[in-house]
Amino acid sequence: MQNLTKTTSSRQRYSWLTGPFQAVLRDRFALVGLIIIAIYVLIAIFAEFIATHPPFEAALTETGRLNRLQPPTADHWFGTTTFGHDVFSQFILGFRVALLVGFLGAFAVGIISTLFGVVAGYFGGIVDDVLMRITDIALSIPTLPFAIVAVGLLGPSINNTIIVIVVLFWRNGARIIRSAVLTERERVYVRWARAAGASHTHVILKHIVPNVFRVVFLWVTMSVAFAILTEASLSFIGLGDPSTTSWGQILNTAFASGNLRTAWWWVVPPSLALVVLISALYLVGRAFEEYNNPRLRGDK
Amino acid sequence: MRAYIIRRLIQSILVIFAVTTIMFFMFRIVPADPTAMMVERGMSEEARQALLERWGLTGSLWDQYLRYIGGLVVGDFGDSFFYRQPVWDVLVPRIVNSLWIALPGLLLGALIGSGLGMIVGWSRRGGVIERSGVLGATIIRGTPSFILGIALLAIFSSWLGWLPGFGMGDSHGKEGWARFLQVEFFIHLILPVLAVIIYFLPENLLLMRSGVVENKHEDYIELVRAKGVSEKRVAWHAGRNSLLPLITWLFPALAETIAGIVVIEIVFSWPGIGRELVLAVTRQDFPLAQAAFFLMAVMIVLANLAADLAYGKLDPRVVYK
Repeated sequence: MQNLTKTTSSRQRYSWLTGPFQAVLRDRFALVGLIIIAIYVLIAIFAEFIATHPPFEAALTETGRLNRLQPPTADHWFGTTTFGHDVFSQFILGFRVALLVGFLGAFAVGIISTLFGVVAGYFGGIVDDVLMRITDIALSIPTLPFAIVAVGLLGPSINNTIIVIVVLFWRNGARIIRSAVLTERERVYVRWARAAGASHTHVILKHIVPNVFRVVFLWVTMSVAFAILTEASLSFIGLGDPSTTSWGQILNTAFASGNLRTAWWWVVPPSLALVVLISALYLVGRAFEEYNNPRLRGDK
Repeated sequence: MRAYIIRRLIQSILVIFAVTTIMFFMFRIVPADPTAMMVERGMSEEARQALLERWGLTGSLWDQYLRYIGGLVVGDFGDSFFYRQPVWDVLVPRIVNSLWIALPGLLLGALIGSGLGMIVGWSRRGGVIERSGVLGATIIRGTPSFILGIALLAIFSSWLGWLPGFGMGDSHGKEGWARFLQVEFFIHLILPVLAVIIYFLPENLLLMRSGVVENKHEDYIELVRAKGVSEKRVAWHAGRNSLLPLITWLFPALAETIAGIVVIEIVFSWPGIGRELVLAVTRQDFPLAQAAFFLMAVMIVLANLAADLAYGKLDPRVVYK
């Protein structure tokens, strides 16, 4: 609703920030998703205290032999791997890897795609043409194959994985944010602001960015999911950071060692953790999507 | 219209050229020594030189680049370090293998997905069908493709023991089309195709549902209903108009599928182009990896071009400038 009085309450002034959150809180699925993500964050933060064993410590039986492929026991809650490593501890430390890659990657993606989208959309003309041709080129790069080649060449590590994720996912975001900026730019009040002598910086920061923020938010949320998916896929292929224990990597070890069929305690926890986390992110993203596209709400 | 096609065509060629260039320098600059893989230890200096020459690795980077682009123009991708034969000969059968699981998987996924999407979109808002449809699609969409593959393997291959989940089966010495026209091949095809179907189903379902939800309150739907036709036919009207984004999605989707089913190919040990790319990267077989990547990029560019042109044909509101 348009507010015609001069005094706007702080609640209204920051509605661009609070609006998307209220949309999430209103949607029951999204709320569940948010709670799940919060639990994941807590586990990731306290992972070191929750893990019961060092992730690469080989467990030995009482007779001094390697305690390999042990089904769950009181000592090894999720059993052991074929190398005698404790599955539960590796699994818990995997929370940290997934969220680190997801949040760091998505944060960088959000900043770069917003910069690209806002500059291209707001200034238009040659700037827009050049930036959009760069985006066109970037968009024709096959996603997963690029990740495989790049990480394969640069060497598998968490840093390189995050770099590849940022290189891959800014491009779609830039497109989406640009088209949102294009519609905002043409609004009457933006033109008035310019006519009244407001600087480009002022218009961009006060009028454009707050109004496309919900689109940015949607893209960042989806990027967290894409980043986690990409990391998991790379690790499963065998291009994960060898010094950490991500869920994709746990599954890769199980798959490569040929124990996929028997050692369910080894395979099920990381698989479930991935599915639940990515689904939770999609549920939150969906609420943003409906918030952005009133036609989808169906309350017409 | 013709001017538009020509402009898009030139644009596509430029994009392909740019991607090729980026990729070439990535492969040559990033690894410490691109020749490490093929030069054997204890090789004489002359033999080494001869080898380097044979693989186009002599001269400055710029010379190598020009030679590479020149080769690409006439369809010469060079030789694979690992297979010691032309890259083209290695890749063509792999692409055919990939298409065997990508095409049926994608088409069936789109068909089943959009059908279900129509039902979910038309169902009562907040009802059981709507909520479970959306939730189910979101969870399947949130399942990484390798977990999907592992689950299918566990259920149908290990637990029930109904279907094989490894490779393409024995060729029985047959080649060409005869190799594919065997019962054993089709049995091996089922699980990977199923994985691709399930992988694509939720995206189609959600896309179709959004289309139907957006359209079902439009005036023309009210008009159709006012004509007194059955509710099913009314739903079809809304669905048909939501097909447009789906059809344009299909072309790029096929290209993306071939690039995206890498992980499914690995889980099922399916000898497709994606699995070959991974093997080439781990074996440091750069000519092969480069060519596989190049072909995937070309497919994506051409698919986007086809989608753009098809969209104009299908939607009368689109006017080309």
